[in-house]
Amino acid sequence: MTDELKVAVERKPNGAILYTKGYINNVGGEEIAARAYELMDGGVRSLLLNLRETKIVNSIGISILIEIIEKMMEKGGRLSFCCLTPVIQKTFQIMGLAQYAAIFPDEESAVRELTL
Amino acid sequence: MTTTAERQMDLTLPMVPDIEIAAARAAGNLARELGLSSEKIDEMTHAIIEACINAREHSGCADGRMYLRFRGSSGADGAPRIDVWITDHGRGFDLDQARSRRRHHEGVSHKRGWGLQIIEAHMDEVDISSSADGTTIHMVKYGEKAI
Repeated sequence: MTDELKVAVERKPNGAILYTKGYINNVGGEEIAARAYELMDGGVRSLLLNLRETKIVNSIGISILIEIIEKMMEKGGRLSFCCLTPVIQKTFQIMGLAQYAAIFPDEESAVRELTL
Repeated sequence: MTTTAERQMDLTLPMVPDIEIAAARAAGNLARELGLSSEKIDEMTHAIIEACINAREHSGCADGRMYLRFRGSSGADGAPRIDVWITDHGRGFDLDQARSRRRHHEGVSHKRGWGLQIIEAHMDEVDISSSADGTTIHMVKYGEKAI
């Protein structure tokens, strides 16, 4: 019934891109967090979350993304996002996530800005 | 589930994880039939998801079910509208207290409790009635006028 979240990782010279596919709920959020924390433990300090294939999120999933942002900020790094649907971007703004993470319209501009 | 000529749909759903997706998809199908744009459907979808999660996580209902009604109609100007009611038979809550809690917990370190704000931001009208017998949230989404 659900779009169980899948996460793929692409390492870049100066960070990594996480590609999500499916619903970011509590389970999906935890899956993203697990992958992000592995990368952070490995020294990655710039992560880009590409949500091109995610069309639905919920507030619990977003709260987990905020936890990842906080952990990354504690380590002096940054988490950024790209390819959000307008409604997901609006939801990020409502929850304050957009104040703490950069949001890019597409992957190319994100990679360029973040020098990944 | 029943569907009438007035494009009304009633659903009774168990409060199990991810059931909100079934509810949102059913409403989305009706909204598509009515001609709402994909962005408006997407907004409604996210509001329904949050309302179902609130019912599942906070209602404390004994029957473990939520009751949904979707009704599609058109106004005199031809603009479609979809009404959504989501009811639980839980213990209810104080809406003013819930709003007050949110106001006092804004900021990145307070991550939970955003459901109501998300619902209100994505829907055109929201009305909540809650008592010790349960809670009903009535939400309305309007489509664009027919040209």
